[in-house]
Amino acid sequence: MTTAPKMLTGLAFLTAAFCASLALGQTTMSPATVAEALFHPDATNTEHLIVQGSRLPRAVIAVLVGAALAVAGALMQALTRNPLASPAIFGVNAGAVFAIVLATTWLAVSAIHDLLWIGLGGATIAGALVYTLGSQGRQGPDPVRLVLAGAAITALFVSFTQALLVSNREGLDSVLFWLAGSVSGRSMDMVMPTLPLLLPALCVAMLLGRQINLLMSGDDIARGLGQNVARLKAMLGVLTVLLAGCAVALAGNVGFVGLIVPHMVRGWLGHDHRWLIPGCALAGATLLLVADVVARFLIMPQEIPVGVMTALLGTPLFIHLARRRLGHG
Amino acid sequence: MPLHPSFSMPVPTGFCVALLSVLILMTSASCAAAATAKDGIRVVSHAQGDTRISGTPQRVVTLFQGANDTAVALGVTPVGVVDAWAEGKNYDYLDAPLAGVPHVGLETQPSLEAIALLEPDLIIASTRRHEKIYPLLSQIAPTVSLATVFDIRRTLEVMGQALNREDRAQELWNAWQQRLAAFRQQASRQLGDRWPMSATVLNFRADHARLYLDGSYAGSVLHDLGFTRPPAHPERQWVLKLTTKESIPIIDADVVFYFMASEPAVRDNFEAWTRHPLWQNLNVVREQRVYPVDRVDWSLAGGILGANRMLDQLFHHFQLDQGS
Amino acid sequence: MDRRRVRFGPVSMAFSPRTLVVISGLLLVSLAITGVALSVGHVTLSPMTVLHHLLGNSTGPERFIIDTLRLPRIVMAFLVGAALAVSGLILQALVRNPLASPDIIGISGGASVAAVAFLSFLTPWLGIQWLPVAAIGGAAIAAIAIYSLAWQRGVTPVRLVLVGIGLSAAMGAATTLMITLSPISTTMTAYVWLTGSVYGADWGDVRALAPWLIVLLPLALFHARAIDLQEFGDHLATGLGLSVQRNRLVLLALSVALAGAAVAHAGAIGFVGLIAPHIARRLTDRHFAGLAPVAAMVGGLLVMIADLAGRTLFVPLDLPAGVFVSAIGAPFFVYLLYRQRY
Repeated sequence: MTTAPKMLTGLAFLTAAFCASLALGQTTMSPATVAEALFHPDATNTEHLIVQGSRLPRAVIAVLVGAALAVAGALMQALTRNPLASPAIFGVNAGAVFAIVLATTWLAVSAIHDLLWIGLGGATIAGALVYTLGSQGRQGPDPVRLVLAGAAITALFVSFTQALLVSNREGLDSVLFWLAGSVSGRSMDMVMPTLPLLLPALCVAMLLGRQINLLMSGDDIARGLGQNVARLKAMLGVLTVLLAGCAVALAGNVGFVGLIVPHMVRGWLGHDHRWLIPGCALAGATLLLVADVVARFLIMPQEIPVGVMTALLGTPLFIHLARRRLGHG
Repeated sequence: MPLHPSFSMPVPTGFCVALLSVLILMTSASCAAAATAKDGIRVVSHAQGDTRISGTPQRVVTLFQGANDTAVALGVTPVGVVDAWAEGKNYDYLDAPLAGVPHVGLETQPSLEAIALLEPDLIIASTRRHEKIYPLLSQIAPTVSLATVFDIRRTLEVMGQALNREDRAQELWNAWQQRLAAFRQQASRQLGDRWPMSATVLNFRADHARLYLDGSYAGSVLHDLGFTRPPAHPERQWVLKLTTKESIPIIDADVVFYFMASEPAVRDNFEAWTRHPLWQNLNVVREQRVYPVDRVDWSLAGGILGANRMLDQLFHHFQLDQGS
Repeated sequence: MDRRRVRFGPVSMAFSPRTLVVISGLLLVSLAITGVALSVGHVTLSPMTVLHHLLGNSTGPERFIIDTLRLPRIVMAFLVGAALAVSGLILQALVRNPLASPDIIGISGGASVAAVAFLSFLTPWLGIQWLPVAAIGGAAIAAIAIYSLAWQRGVTPVRLVLVGIGLSAAMGAATTLMITLSPISTTMTAYVWLTGSVYGADWGDVRALAPWLIVLLPLALFHARAIDLQEFGDHLATGLGLSVQRNRLVLLALSVALAGAAVAHAGAIGFVGLIAPHIARRLTDRHFAGLAPVAAMVGGLLVMIADLAGRTLFVPLDLPAGVFVSAIGAPFFVYLLYRQRY
């Protein structure tokens, strides 16, 4: 199959997952009900209200967050030329979580809109720190140093977060579920402020496909062929922080999507970033939707936090990849 | 002079002797018991072994809320208590009895130095919280440890023994049993065949809602009162953490009691949950049997006084006469 | 650099006098801090009172506080810091990257999963004295998992680190899952454990941890030459007669055992294994035989001071030592990265 039909198949899977997310849950609904709820909503019908009020925002957030994280992961892996890079490992998650916990426990901020910007701020600071620390040499970001700096900054912010939570029991209770990663309980007006950031970032990332391909052949070659390597790397960094930061601010700590999805898509679509990045967006969205649906059923009526679900699904895949990909050490 | 009393009742001699011996034995036994109690060495069995306590302890340190409560109920003012989880250093209902009592820190991590400096002669702890520091506590003073923090009966029993106030403890327990019986009687009389009712206990938090099941403190008290478990609830568990409003149907029961903290985030969450159509659709909401109750009494206090206050609220909500 | 050789029968080691000076200096500082730590707390006692109680036969609450509450806690903090520091030092040599440490590589993660699982589900049945065993078991299993997953005709440092980082993320998720599903009362206990704390340490705990150090530290010193060789790279080390893969396994086991024992008793204190070796490198030369004692003392001091700060700065709160280790360690670490001094 050439690439275009594969993408269409991906789109079909995404749509199916989206519909499943709308139809399945503690009250399972028929496709007809879901269609009605979407296009002819009746304000007095409970099932319509469930679809519009909780399942639709949930599905939309899952799509956005999944796509953002997967694309951020692909960009990160290109930037560092490290197949085990992901936004979480680079400290962006931890920075956002710390900022939000700081705001809720010490500054008593509770409005979700404010928390969104605070989370994004935290993510940016962490990302900037890691990038700076990882690029001390003349060559720009050194892959190994970047990874280790990221891991260290993550540990830093995680420790600070723990410090805050340990001294404030009420604070701990109120952020526990959010920390674990969750796409439920949000309304559409929480998603709106992020769209002007997420959608353009995704588009720009997709348009950079060709340039990234060039970058992958090596800094010197790319420079020799006229590319502004430093500027491209900086752009990739900014895009990653934006995408991952918004994702964390919306959904908390959702791991593994940025790590696993690019590998899966590479196996499916090849290394051409012009296809890889849109493919990642599709696959990431689908994965998160599926994880969210499964998370609803395992311990009903309670739900497993979706961030945990992605880790549980992602670990076996990750292990397999680590062994296969790093064969030459 | 006759050697036997000249009663005209045909009581057999053997029986008299036997009765007399029994009486003598009983008297001497109770004297011995009283003597033991006076000399003081009682052995109290508790969750972490047996502790020998001598005399009547005068300086008690209580390390969990239920113990604070029970000590006051038994008429003892502790020389050191731990901080409450809400409402300031002490719960409002214990503010007066515990006024001026020094605090030794958090329930989960009391300051061992502070406890040692108070030179107590008895410490009441809980395995749930203090298992790790039990050896250290025992070195400061005889320490008695309860397995959980909210078993009002066991706490009352063990503390009664340890503090040498078993009679008072028994009185309190009997009074509690009587109130329970009164409630059951009146509820069934008033509600007829709507009784027994199934009950849900709900706690709203900032980002989720908690459903306390029959394994929890409030659940077990309701169980003793005769309330039943809604069929949809799992058995013998403590709590369900509900993170999505789609789980609202599981809340349905004949009556719902809810409580929450007063932070704005919690209030917002409460509004969001109760405005949801699934909530409006619940039978219990339609029949307006959703009652707010006090957070401290229903989940934080865990002692006999708090339990009685919980019962007060129940009498009030069902408009039953507390007089009897 | 001026080094003297010391011979004990078949074993010889090279020391530089400078190292001995540094070690003595650190010893003095440790004693001074111990003195301060014994004097302050919920109640402040003068140093004379402290000495009187330590040397005399007094009884009473003050004696109890010094002897049974403060002293074991201080000793415990020191031992934990020392174990973590040496573990980090070995790991950094193995991985050939000065940014490696037991927490980054997933060992703490394994201990955390086991400990939180134990706290959430098993404590009512087994009793909390088995918590350290569970934690060490978790650390060992994590280490075995990381090693075997990184093994493909041998283990290279890069693979080891990256697999470790990846598995850490997975274990973090498992820990989070258990905390969200656990009975409420254990959430705070679990969080304190994850931060790292020596609250409630008594002589029993010290007696449980000390043997690990008494056995493992000399063992590590015994391998001093091998550790130095590992830093040169596989080819050179093999050329110099080292059986690289087997040696790597032994050293990894040493590092895991030290870190596991420390974490098992004090929770997942982070950063010590990262920072202490770096500070040690500034103070003395690069050979393991000299670095190890210095790093151990620096690590011990770090945790001791952090615990002291935690229990005195915010009286009546007793904050876990782990919080202050990060508060001191993290900015310092960032400074190191910035200065690129490695």
